Amino acid sequence: MVVRLAVNVVRFIVTFFVATVAVFALMRAIPGDPAQISLGVNASPELLAQTRREFGTDRPLIAQYFDWVSGLPQGHFGVSFVTRRDISDMIADRVQVSLILVILSMIVALLIAVPFGTLAAVRHRRTSGILISGISQLGVAIPGFLAGIMLVVVFAVGLGWLPANGWTPPGQDFGDFASRIVLPVVALASVQGAILTRYVRSAVLEVMSEDYLRTARAKGLGKLEALVRHGLRNASIPVLTVTSIQLAALIIGAVVVERVFVIPGLGSMLLDAVGNRDMLSVQSVVMVLVAITLIINLIVDTLYTVLDPRIRKQA
Amino acid sequence: MRRTKHYRLAAAVLLAAAMSLTACSAGSSGGSEAKSAGKTSLTVALTGPPTNLDFTRTAGAAIPQALMSNVYEGLVKIDQDGRIQPSLAESWTLSDDRKTYTFKLHPGVTFSNGEAFTADDVKFSLERVKTGWVSSLKTKMDVVDSIDVLSDSEVEVKLSRPSNAWLFDMGTPVGAMFDPSGVQDLANKPVGTGPFTVESWKPGEAIAMTARDKYWGQAPKVKTLTLRYFADATATTNALRSGDVDVVYNMQAPELLPTFESDKSFQILDGTSNGKVELTMNNKVAPFNDVRVRRAVMYAIDRKAVLDTAWSGHGTLVGAPVPPTDPYYEDLNGVYPHDPGKAKALLKEAGAENLKITFTVPTRPYATAVSQIVVSELADVGIDATIETAEFPAVWLDKVFTKHDYQMSVILAVESRDLLTAFNNPNYYIGYDNSKIKDLAQTADAADEAGYVEGMKKVVRTITDDAAVDVLFLFPNLIVAKADVTGLPKNSVTEALDLTAAGWK
Amino acid sequence: MSEPTAAESVPQFSLPGLEPGPEPAAVVARRGRRKVSATLIVGAAVVVLVVLAALVSFFWTPYDPVKAFPVDRLQGSSAAHLMGTDRYGRDVFSGILYGARITLMVGLISVGIALVIGTPLGILAGMRGGFTEEATMRGADILLAFPALLVAIMFGAVFGASTTTAMVAIGIGSIPGFARVARSGTLQVMSTEYVLAARASSQNSFRIARRHVLPNIAGMVVVQCSVTFALAVLAEAALSFLGLGTPPPVPSWGRMLQESQQFLGTFPMLAVWPGAAIAVAVLGFNLLGDGLRDKFDPKLNGER
Repeated sequence: MVVRLAVNVVRFIVTFFVATVAVFALMRAIPGDPAQISLGVNASPELLAQTRREFGTDRPLIAQYFDWVSGLPQGHFGVSFVTRRDISDMIADRVQVSLILVILSMIVALLIAVPFGTLAAVRHRRTSGILISGISQLGVAIPGFLAGIMLVVVFAVGLGWLPANGWTPPGQDFGDFASRIVLPVVALASVQGAILTRYVRSAVLEVMSEDYLRTARAKGLGKLEALVRHGLRNASIPVLTVTSIQLAALIIGAVVVERVFVIPGLGSMLLDAVGNRDMLSVQSVVMVLVAITLIINLIVDTLYTVLDPRIRKQA
Repeated sequence: MRRTKHYRLAAAVLLAAAMSLTACSAGSSGGSEAKSAGKTSLTVALTGPPTNLDFTRTAGAAIPQALMSNVYEGLVKIDQDGRIQPSLAESWTLSDDRKTYTFKLHPGVTFSNGEAFTADDVKFSLERVKTGWVSSLKTKMDVVDSIDVLSDSEVEVKLSRPSNAWLFDMGTPVGAMFDPSGVQDLANKPVGTGPFTVESWKPGEAIAMTARDKYWGQAPKVKTLTLRYFADATATTNALRSGDVDVVYNMQAPELLPTFESDKSFQILDGTSNGKVELTMNNKVAPFNDVRVRRAVMYAIDRKAVLDTAWSGHGTLVGAPVPPTDPYYEDLNGVYPHDPGKAKALLKEAGAENLKITFTVPTRPYATAVSQIVVSELADVGIDATIETAEFPAVWLDKVFTKHDYQMSVILAVESRDLLTAFNNPNYYIGYDNSKIKDLAQTADAADEAGYVEGMKKVVRTITDDAAVDVLFLFPNLIVAKADVTGLPKNSVTEALDLTAAGWK
Repeated sequence: MSEPTAAESVPQFSLPGLEPGPEPAAVVARRGRRKVSATLIVGAAVVVLVVLAALVSFFWTPYDPVKAFPVDRLQGSSAAHLMGTDRYGRDVFSGILYGARITLMVGLISVGIALVIGTPLGILAGMRGGFTEEATMRGADILLAFPALLVAIMFGAVFGASTTTAMVAIGIGSIPGFARVARSGTLQVMSTEYVLAARASSQNSFRIARRHVLPNIAGMVVVQCSVTFALAVLAEAALSFLGLGTPPPVPSWGRMLQESQQFLGTFPMLAVWPGAAIAVAVLGFNLLGDGLRDKFDPKLNGER
């Protein structure tokens, strides 16, 4: 167990630093001079040179890389030369927004997917099961931003029940926060819920075919009862895997929904920073994303050992 | 075994809890401010957020749009008709040789940090343009020779040569007045003499301003002013409909207007701006180094159709790179009427039939809309234009503006009175050969008012005759607002969005 | 006791590809045998329809899909314009036909990239184990932290937004899925008796991969292709929405949808056509994937 955790932590560190090199290299390949963008049209060569010096973009790449990387372990990303703000502070703000949105959405998605997916599996030959499968197929097929735009058109602009967009931190005004987060969460959760429903269904179907479950049923337990008492834990492993992958992908993937609902999340920050060629911010946001993804992997990997005794024995 | 399992579970739960806890103190986008504050506040929706708040070191119209007039003021200001009006200077005199301005300052003016505004601050601010500004705008102060403080309330500015443009520029950001003790962190904490101060700024989201108690002039109508920034026009009008914002300023999607036109609870202001949507042709490279090919393009494009299709007919056809609010404006729409036959003939004459060109289009809504119709019209006269998109601003600035690596492009030029910047400089990306206008322009700037206007008109006619650029239309300043909002500036004459008179009925 | 005791050599937690697992054999078997799956038929039919639309667009579209006719702009459906016209007066039906071509191209190229890179890596990881496996799977982990959207945003900045950039980005983002499917399939095959026998008789690895592994995982990989195809179509639409997809004037469904956003209040049908086209195509490829999964999975006999 401890060994496994240690291995994972080493993996984490190595992967993280490989990623820093990749991200840094990619960022330097981007055309567009930050100094030029900051100065705009009609800048003289002297002004450009002066600004590059100020930004540090005239220094050797190796030096720029080490300046940046050496700050990472302490979570110090430096000051953006575009916004002239501390990048760590900005990311801290944005990451909270993204995490609230994404985690809430995944919870709602699971609340939809687990019961409906299980039902679809248990009744996979009946109308209700087929209906759920059909709806989930449709849900997966609709582009997320279209779902978001339609929600705005119907519930905000048309019916006027909810605000069309915007964000209020829950700590500031919880009621307002709640009214604003409903539509984006519904937009994200409906698509994610549809995806997860399909996974839950197939995972439960898989479990239902296992010998131990058939034994349990032979002992006189009902289908659902046997499943709940013996099967769900096993079915949860693939579902957990997919949830974790989706969770990580959604932190950036939510950018589309962030744009529709004007939510100041990490994805929007990334898009803006790329547009302004705010290299330091882009690098830092990407590394935060990498870190979050790796941490989620780490947590999930640990959860596996909790959920599956076979893995525990292995370690 | 069991025990370790529980530990692990507990750890996982704790982690999840910690995540949601930290999540609870997240940042705001100021979404709720409009609703709770009632009628003493105004929330304005804009697109294109500033990257920071320091226009002395960062280019772009977004920062002066938010801060000029509201937070910063100059000695003079430009009114809705493009005329120069007194502001921090009560009055001024001009010497007979037209080179020395003497400004009498308004008494009792203070900066938002409490410091008094005096002639020393004028000297400091104007000199700082030359020494402290990191911006291409600073060249506008090159003509200033010396600044002398005559008394606390009088200051004298000597120019190296007479200049009509300079006093106008004093009403734009380059003439903004700063306090020597207030310029440490302009990017985050602006200090000016205006009626508002910046309360908070969230990059990419919102700027919140509050009215000052001790403002020297007419107090603004509202106590708090919030500028909120959106990624696209649809989001702004959605926010207007659901009551989160009161005004959508400089709306970027006229297609959205029809749904507001019939609605009594909204008003639409269709004003003019300085923004010229220019179809630029690289005057220095083939095929557009041939004036006949450029003229052919002018005849090929049906500007009325472009305006109607791309911008739903909102905007003004001007025919030259001069808006009607400039003193030397004249209607030059008749110079190149839509005439595909003539265009084809010119192309034949130039030996440029079956032309293939690359059309570099910046990633902006107006550019995308305009380019598709332009390509179609060029095809009608035998010019095959291939669209190549260039991310704006980064790639467009690098490729088109700096490296001049383009044949045709389209851009919204927003700077006020930029005629000479763009055309009196052969090294500008348009590459216009300025030999014919160079002397005309210099004489005009040094002449008296009437001579200035006459001279500049000649410059404009020469540029138009040489088909240096095809000005497709003048960008409208579209405003959609709640019906009971008053005092909004209909026209956008300079970069500033002056909200000092905005309020409620 | 209630807990399962079967200890397999293949750890169950190996991440699957991003697709729901197969219908287990036992479940399917109970439904009766040898009936051609309706899912497969519907899926295949829709895919054929998209391919046909794309092919037709090479020879014929009612109008030039990029030619603007300002006079005819924003018309509803009529005999002249089956799906009406857009803000530039372009025929929407012609755009939808042409857009099928872009959709197919995006799907094929991005799936191709992921297939060609991801599958061999997965097989290699599955067969070699040890450091190779570790390195490959860590690489896949890094890639997981770079979803297609993130790669596309960064590539869009480096190379400019274009269909090619979008395809490559989606392709790269899909590599981990293929690598994982190939690896887990390979691990299963490697533990079978005939492979153990082949290894015992010291056949070389390449031969084992070709003779035993590849044929056995082909079905799973085909399924992954189909599912990834559907994801690619959605990803292109999302990228177009953000301005990182196919540039104008070439009509892609994603961009048509994005351009129609401002007309939702006035001309909603402009959004309905490309939206429906995307949804139908995605549905088609997903159904095809499900159908193929039932047919190909080694545990199954291919029926539903």
